[in-house]
Amino acid sequence: MSDEAELYRKAYEREREARKAAEQIVENHTRELYLQNQKLEESLKQLKEQQRVLVQNEKLAMLGTLAAGIAHEINNPMAFVHANLESLSDYLEPYQKLVALQREALTLPPEQQEAAAAKIAKHMADADLEFFEEELPELMEDTRDGLQRVREIVANLRSFARTHTQERHPEDIVAGLQSTLKLLNSQFRTEVVLQQDLQPLPLVHCNISELNQVFLNLLVNAGHAVEGRKGATISIATAVAKDKVIIKIGDNGIGMSEEVKEQIFVPFFTTKPVGKGTGMGMSIAYGIIVDHGGEIEVESTEGEGTTFTITLPIDG
Amino acid sequence: MKGVVFNILEDMVTEKGGLMMWQKVIDKAGVDGGYTAVSTYNDDELFAIVGAVVEELELPAQTVISAFGTYMFGQLASRYPVFVDSCDDLFSFLESIDSVIHLEVRKLMTETNLPSIKCERIGDEQLVMDYRSPRRLCVLAEGLIYGAAEHYKTPIKIEHPVCMHKGSDYCDMRVSVTHE
Repeated sequence: MSDEAELYRKAYEREREARKAAEQIVENHTRELYLQNQKLEESLKQLKEQQRVLVQNEKLAMLGTLAAGIAHEINNPMAFVHANLESLSDYLEPYQKLVALQREALTLPPEQQEAAAAKIAKHMADADLEFFEEELPELMEDTRDGLQRVREIVANLRSFARTHTQERHPEDIVAGLQSTLKLLNSQFRTEVVLQQDLQPLPLVHCNISELNQVFLNLLVNAGHAVEGRKGATISIATAVAKDKVIIKIGDNGIGMSEEVKEQIFVPFFTTKPVGKGTGMGMSIAYGIIVDHGGEIEVESTEGEGTTFTITLPIDG
Repeated sequence: MKGVVFNILEDMVTEKGGLMMWQKVIDKAGVDGGYTAVSTYNDDELFAIVGAVVEELELPAQTVISAFGTYMFGQLASRYPVFVDSCDDLFSFLESIDSVIHLEVRKLMTETNLPSIKCERIGDEQLVMDYRSPRRLCVLAEGLIYGAAEHYKTPIKIEHPVCMHKGSDYCDMRVSVTHE
């Protein structure tokens, strides 16, 4: 072989070996990447499951704090439903007697009619039946209303407590806010003024259970912030802005310092005493909003109040 | 077809007839001729090159392909010894093709057209391989099996009663251990 050809041959051999080495490296890397990817996918699956458990636990913890209030909510209507039914049963016997007297009167000959009529009139006066007759429609109406209220509270509770799927649908956020408010009726003592400015919103692609959880969290916190304040006010407002909806929940309560404001969304951070609150509510709320492609911001002045502004894309 | 198969074919051709022969063959086949082991190329290119080799060597296609199969086993074994080392004998190696080797290939490459290979043992000395592939390279498979048999020092004979080239949609290859 000529010298030049020999040079080329040697070069060729070197290149081949180098190329083979490179190919080996590529294959090793590919295998490593594959294994890494497997591990990451496994981790992701675990994390998603843990997140689901966390969110559900937080929800149930929140329900725990509401339980006393909700029991009160249910107890109130049940009290007057009970009282009304007691009244009704009190009047049952006199009414039955009235019907009996009238039936009897119908069988009497004409000359005994007048006496029978007097007897009926006396019975009605004695048993105060006329008064009761006036009261009866209202009594029934109140009872019906009371039971309806209880049904609604129970329905809201069940809907809130249910383990929800992670699916998203076009939903009415204002309806969600209103049903959440119903759960909280008793939490806000009568001294708390609820200012609502709920502009109608287009249907938003979202998981309404998750959003309700966020609203509930913010409203409960607002309730705590205004506790004991004179002129306590909690405000809720909704608005549309181009392709987004805006929900503002504010209060004129104790507010937050700069340091607290910075940490509010950090998991396990809480300003409540030990044993009260999981510290996860706000970080879960943050996660839910960000997951929906939205934003949640807080403005607060110590001693004056706090406002949370949630922005959500309409199309999710 | 994975590039490594082309590389091995090139090795075999250059071993037999030097760089000159490989150049002739790729010119005749009308292909580029440069292949990276980790890449994937058109099956047709391989067939074109094999066709050109058959013409050059003036040998029957079956002979060339079978010889290539045997040669290829040796090369693959030296490039990826782990697959051969983890099996103690020929039959367990053949059984590992689908469950181990091809599994690894699928991990590393997304678009692979690997043949379906299912093995069934009949007694200690016989194994039937069910081979299915749109490329119908059963002759190559036979060559590989002979190559493996050489490696495991197990003399065998292969009977090929059912074949895709004879109109069936799968091949049955009966591998029997012989005693000379």
